[in-house]
Amino acid sequence: MGYINSVLRVNLTTGEISREGLNRKWADLYYGGKGLGIKYLYQELEPGTDPLSDGNKIILLTGPFTGTIVPCSGKLSVVTKSPLNGAALDCSVGGNIAGELKYAGYDMVILEGKSPEPVYLVIEDGEASLMEAGFLWGRGTLDTEKELLKLHGEGARVLSIGPAGENIIPYACLTSELYRQAGRGGAGAVFGSKNIKAVVVRGTGGVGVADMPGLLKAAQKAMREDLLTDTNLWAYTDGTPMLVEMSQNSGILPTRNFQQATFEGFESLASPSMQKARAGKKACLSCGLGCGNYTVKGAARVEGPEYETLSIGGSNCGIADLEAVVKFNALCDDLGLDTISMGSTIAFAMEMTEKGIKDLGLRFGDVSSYLEAPELVAFRKGKGMELALGVRGLSERYGGREFAMQVKGLEFPGYEPRGSWGMGLAYATAPRGACHMSAWPVAEEAYGERDPYTVEGKAGLVADLQHYNALKFSLILCDFWALSFDLMAELLTPILGREVAAGELELAGERIFNLLRLFNTREGFTGKDDTLPDRIFNQGLVGGPGAGKILPREEFTKMLGEYYRLRGWDANGIPEKDTLIRLELT
Amino acid sequence: MKLAFEAEKCIGCRLCHLACSGVKENIFNPSLSRLKVASEYLNGGLVITASLCSGCLSCAEACPTGAISGENGVPVVDADICTGCGECANACPEGVIVMPPDGRPRLCDFCGGEPVCVQWCPQGALTAEV
Repeated sequence: MGYINSVLRVNLTTGEISREGLNRKWADLYYGGKGLGIKYLYQELEPGTDPLSDGNKIILLTGPFTGTIVPCSGKLSVVTKSPLNGAALDCSVGGNIAGELKYAGYDMVILEGKSPEPVYLVIEDGEASLMEAGFLWGRGTLDTEKELLKLHGEGARVLSIGPAGENIIPYACLTSELYRQAGRGGAGAVFGSKNIKAVVVRGTGGVGVADMPGLLKAAQKAMREDLLTDTNLWAYTDGTPMLVEMSQNSGILPTRNFQQATFEGFESLASPSMQKARAGKKACLSCGLGCGNYTVKGAARVEGPEYETLSIGGSNCGIADLEAVVKFNALCDDLGLDTISMGSTIAFAMEMTEKGIKDLGLRFGDVSSYLEAPELVAFRKGKGMELALGVRGLSERYGGREFAMQVKGLEFPGYEPRGSWGMGLAYATAPRGACHMSAWPVAEEAYGERDPYTVEGKAGLVADLQHYNALKFSLILCDFWALSFDLMAELLTPILGREVAAGELELAGERIFNLLRLFNTREGFTGKDDTLPDRIFNQGLVGGPGAGKILPREEFTKMLGEYYRLRGWDANGIPEKDTLIRLELT
Repeated sequence: MKLAFEAEKCIGCRLCHLACSGVKENIFNPSLSRLKVASEYLNGGLVITASLCSGCLSCAEACPTGAISGENGVPVVDADICTGCGECANACPEGVIVMPPDGRPRLCDFCGGEPVCVQWCPQGALTAEV
């Protein structure tokens, strides 16, 4: 129970649509979401596949919690090979589409091949078909979604790309319910390369569990005693904008392309400013927290901006104008661009100008050029052709590598690693590149009680957090519920109808993380790629409690070595045979 | 008994749908839920709506076989008499009577005085009025 045991496979080249059973052996080892997705991808993808070729696949997944009453279980996983960097990519997107997919009778959808013409996929209660999408091509995600709901009914849920995905911008995202994204690493470009504009899902079936009374009791208790408590309720009262002030105070707020760790204009982007502009709260399916802030500021409106956009698209671009950031967010959402990579790329271009390397017309703090950039990128017009390269691509073309804030080609999110050294390790070792979703040690370092300016104990901390998130995003639970492995096991037991132990889940998290590493190793990544931009090692922080701090390269190397040893990886960062045996990965 | 709804407190999580279908149907299926709550972006704004049984008993009045009786505004269906004609669902002004393929109408019975939708609402948007 907990699974539908049904996989939808769509060959976009031939138009063939088939249904197959879920691989139960893999589901037992990887559960769902991120873990199961990477298992399927690892098994089915030829090594060296061009991410934008018809050989790549993109997989949409639910997990055993999806569609049930387990709180915060509403997200959909998306797994593919990233066109931004060729690494394993997993993202998740909130809203209701994951539950809808299960109610429609599927655990997951595998999209493969490449359609000769623009199409969209409709899944309605077990039946799936490809529809002509020429009339949607070129249209933004807001318009696309509205049009598809008109055609397929208000109860349907839509996942779509905007012009950025169609034009294969390597940091194009997928959008659902207008404002929720599978943001990072270019999943939208994979859709675009396959000529698929959208997936529409409508389901009126249900999800059964092994022990309904047992689950209702366990989930009600978990919600009242664990979820709706001070540990998590910040997500309701503030949402992620709360982090603006926390980052400012702890000196990790990215400012002017990470040249500063505090921003003089932070107050205009902080939670009190956001609360003043709040026009509503919105949750994903089954979430009791409702982190989504519907914001109306002047003529601009969006669900968001989240902290990553406020920091990377705000302070990091020298923008202290909330209305401008809301506009930027809304533009990126509609065009189908990841706000983090877009904001980081703009910030890098701003510093290139400042340093006299290349002038793409962008200046720190200049709102009008900042707001022009997303559309130019999405349609590859003018300087948008250049900005579409992303930070690494731009630095390779023009220089400035030492301040190109990216790892493995993925641009930095909103946490300054010189002010949170464990976060540096997290960025360096996350499978998809500089990523805040693989591990988030800032909660304990910059925002918490642990010394942020030491590498002591950080290797273990980061590894543990990576296992925790890998498992959580496989079951699929939201990041914002800080629940224990024990509680996850208590909730999973009545769903599956077998006793689940916390240790089994923790081990699975480690297994999933190692499989991601095996995927990347197979694609040619080595320990040399587990590094950070020179700025982090060489330039002292400006502003905040950590002023003057660097993350010394030798300390970083020491931390990375310790991390490899703890993981049972060799000096090149490749998992040892014993490790693979222990994790049932041979 | 009556259910009350405060839209400004609702976050649109649909835990009410999941609780209703889970408890009453032994499966999680929002389309079988005996209340409807929606939080959607429409016409440039966030629109939150709810349809709840008001206890008006229009269903009992509309039932051609007398299968629905009501006491204190709580409708009760006698499955032996019900023919599954769907007149009750047609008559329901709130549109919350579910007619699944098995032909047996699902009516909100306020869970015997302790509605599970209220019990699960995380933000206190749904309350029970006696």
